[in-house]
Amino acid sequence: MAPTHTLAAKSRRRFKKLSLATKHYRVMETSRLPLSSTIRGKLISAGYTSLSSISSVSSTDLARDVDMTEAEAVDISKLANQISGSNGTTSLINGGKNAWDMLHEEESLPRITTSCSDLDNILGGGISCRDVTEIGGVPGIGKTQIGIQLSVNVQIPREFGGLGGKAIYIDTEGSFMVERALQMAEACVEDMEEYTGYMMHKHFKASQVQMKPEDILENIFYFRVCSYTEQIALVNHLDKFISENKDVKVVIVDSITFHFRQDFDDLGQRTRVLSEMALKFMKLAKKFSLAVVLLNQVTTKYTDGSFQLALALGDSWSHSCTNRVILYWNGDERYAYIDKSPSLPSASASYNVTSRGLRNSSSSTKRVKMM
Amino acid sequence: MAPLKHVERENPIIDASFRDFCASHGIQTVEDFLLHDLYELAAFAERQRNADRLKEGITFMLSLIELQCRPWLNGMELLEDLHRNKHTLSTGDKGIDSLLQGGFREGQVTELVGPSSSGKTQFCMQAAASVAEKYSARVLYLDTGNSFSARRIAQFICSSSDAALRQKVLSRISCQMVYDVYTMFDMLHGLEVTLRSQAQMNVNEDRLQLLVVDSISSLITPILGGSGSQGRALMVAVGYMLKKLAHEHNIAILVTNHTVGAGEGGRTKPALGETWKSIPHVRLMLTRDHRNNNCTISILKHTSMPAGHTVTTMTREDNTHCL
Repeated sequence: MAPTHTLAAKSRRRFKKLSLATKHYRVMETSRLPLSSTIRGKLISAGYTSLSSISSVSSTDLARDVDMTEAEAVDISKLANQISGSNGTTSLINGGKNAWDMLHEEESLPRITTSCSDLDNILGGGISCRDVTEIGGVPGIGKTQIGIQLSVNVQIPREFGGLGGKAIYIDTEGSFMVERALQMAEACVEDMEEYTGYMMHKHFKASQVQMKPEDILENIFYFRVCSYTEQIALVNHLDKFISENKDVKVVIVDSITFHFRQDFDDLGQRTRVLSEMALKFMKLAKKFSLAVVLLNQVTTKYTDGSFQLALALGDSWSHSCTNRVILYWNGDERYAYIDKSPSLPSASASYNVTSRGLRNSSSSTKRVKMM
Repeated sequence: MAPLKHVERENPIIDASFRDFCASHGIQTVEDFLLHDLYELAAFAERQRNADRLKEGITFMLSLIELQCRPWLNGMELLEDLHRNKHTLSTGDKGIDSLLQGGFREGQVTELVGPSSSGKTQFCMQAAASVAEKYSARVLYLDTGNSFSARRIAQFICSSSDAALRQKVLSRISCQMVYDVYTMFDMLHGLEVTLRSQAQMNVNEDRLQLLVVDSISSLITPILGGSGSQGRALMVAVGYMLKKLAHEHNIAILVTNHTVGAGEGGRTKPALGETWKSIPHVRLMLTRDHRNNNCTISILKHTSMPAGHTVTTMTREDNTHCL
C-alpha cells in the first residue's frame, strides 16, 4: 500500500509545482513586455497579468484601470498585440464576427408569425428577431391589431414552431384593448388545439396544448406611458427589465410617435432624443436577440409639388429602423408593403383583420361572400 | 497630450524642479509647452538659480517637439505611392465603376448620401462582397442599424455556387455593431493599433482594404447640435481619424449619411451640416425610384471629377449581373 501512497503524494506535489509554474509563466507574460518596472507593476497589480488580458480590453479602459495616459495605454496594447502575434492577424477588432459565422446565425434566427401567411411570406417568415421593425399606416388600418397579435404569437410554444417567449407592450396612446388581446389569445389556443387534433389524426405524436388564454395574457408585460420623459425613462430601464426577464422576445411600442408629435418645440432636440432612443432599441434587439416593433403614425409631406403621406417624425428618424412595413388601403382591402429591408425584396401582400385576429385576406373575403 | 511628468521616465532632465518651474508659468503638459512663448520662458529661466539646467531642459523639450515633425515627400514619391498603394476597388456594379473611373480609391473616404431605403446599405454590402471576392482582401463592416445581412452578402458573391470559395469570401468580411460614438472611437483606436502592428510584421496577405461604416450619421446625430460645441468636435475627430486610417494604411473607407430637408419644396440635402462636408473625399447621392426599383447615383463632390455626373442602375435581386 505504501508505495502507491507515496506515488500519489508525489504526483500531487508535481501538479502543485506545475500549476505554480504556469502561474509564474502568466506573470512572466506581462513582464516580458519592454516596459518600465513601475508600469509593469501597475499592470500586474491591476490584474493584467497575461497578454490576452491586455489585448482584450480597449486602450481607454486600460488607461483608466491602470491610471496612465491614453497614449501609453495604446502603446501597451500595441506591444501586447505584437507579442501575442497571431492573435492580431485573425481578428481586426475585438468582438468582430465574420460574415460566414453570421450567415449560420441568421439562418437559425427565429421569426414571429403574424398569423397571416401572405404577410409572413413577404417578411421571410415573420417579424425577424434582432431587428427593429417599424410599422406605419393611417389610423384604423390595424397597427394596434398587429401589435396585439404579435404579443400573443410570440408566446406560441416551440413545439408548435413558435418562440415560447414573452412580450413587452409599451402603450403611449392608450389603445391597447385587453378584451381584444383575450379574443386573439383564445383564437390562438383554439388554433393550436386544432393543429394537435390534426396531428393526432395523422398518427403523429404531439403534445397536448397546455397553454390557456389566461397564461397568454399573464405573459404580456404592459407599460402605459403618459409623456415623453416617461417614454425615455422606460427605454433606459428596459435593459435592466429584460435582463431580469430573459424570456421577453418582442418589444412593441404603440406608438413611438405620440408624445413626440406634441410637446416638442425644439425640433433639433427632438431629433437628438429620438436618434439616441433608436440606437438604444437597436442595442436591445441585438443584445437579447429579440424583435423590436415600433408602430408609427403618418403625416403629410410636401414633395415634388404635391402633398403625400409619409411616416411621421421626419427624415432622420426614417433611418432608425432595420425594416419598415407600410400599411395602406387598396380599395376595400388592407395591404402591407415592405418599404425598407436590408435583406428582403420590396413586395406587398394583402391581409385582413378578423375577430380572431390577423388572417389571410383572400380566404376570409370568400367566406364573407359565401355567407 | 501627456503631462510633463511622463517625459521624465525617459529623460531625467525633465525633473521635479524643471516641472515646478514650468508649472509656475502655467505649463502642465507638453501641449501647454507648445503654446507658450519660449523666448519669454528662456528669459525667466535666466533669472533662476539653476539657469543652465533649466535651459538645457527647454532645449531638450524643443528637440523632442522637432522629432514629432513628419518627414516630407516630393511629388514623384507621392505619385509612386499613389500607383503602388492607392488602387481603385470595384464596387461590384459596372455602371458605378465607370462613373467613378474604376471604383472607390484606397486612401480616400467615400460617402454615400441618400434618404431612407434609397439603397445605401445595399451598395455597402455589394461593395463588401465585391472587394472580399475580387481582391481577396479583408473587409470590416461597422453596423449601427442591425442592417448587416450575411445572407444578402452571400447573394452578391458572383461565384456563390462554389461553396468553399463562398465560405472563404464570407470569412474575410467581419462585422461589428457600434451603437455610440464613444465605442466607435475605441474601435478605431484598436483598429489602428492592430494595423500598425501588422504593418511592422509585414503581414501583407489578406490585408484590410475596405472599411464600411453604415451609418456614420446615426452615431453623430445624438451628440450634434444644442448649445455645446463638443458634439461637433467629436464629429470632426471621428472624420479625421477615418481619413488618417485611410491614408496611412491604404484602406478605402465607405460611410453612409442620411438626408435632411432643405428649405421649402421638399428638397433635401446631406445631413451633418457644413462642417462634415469637408471630410469625405467623394460624396455620392443616391435616389431610388420606388416604381421601377431604379437607383440613380450622382456625384456631389469628387477629388478628380466634376460634380453632376449621374448613372442609373437597378437594385439587384441576386448575382445574375456579375461583372
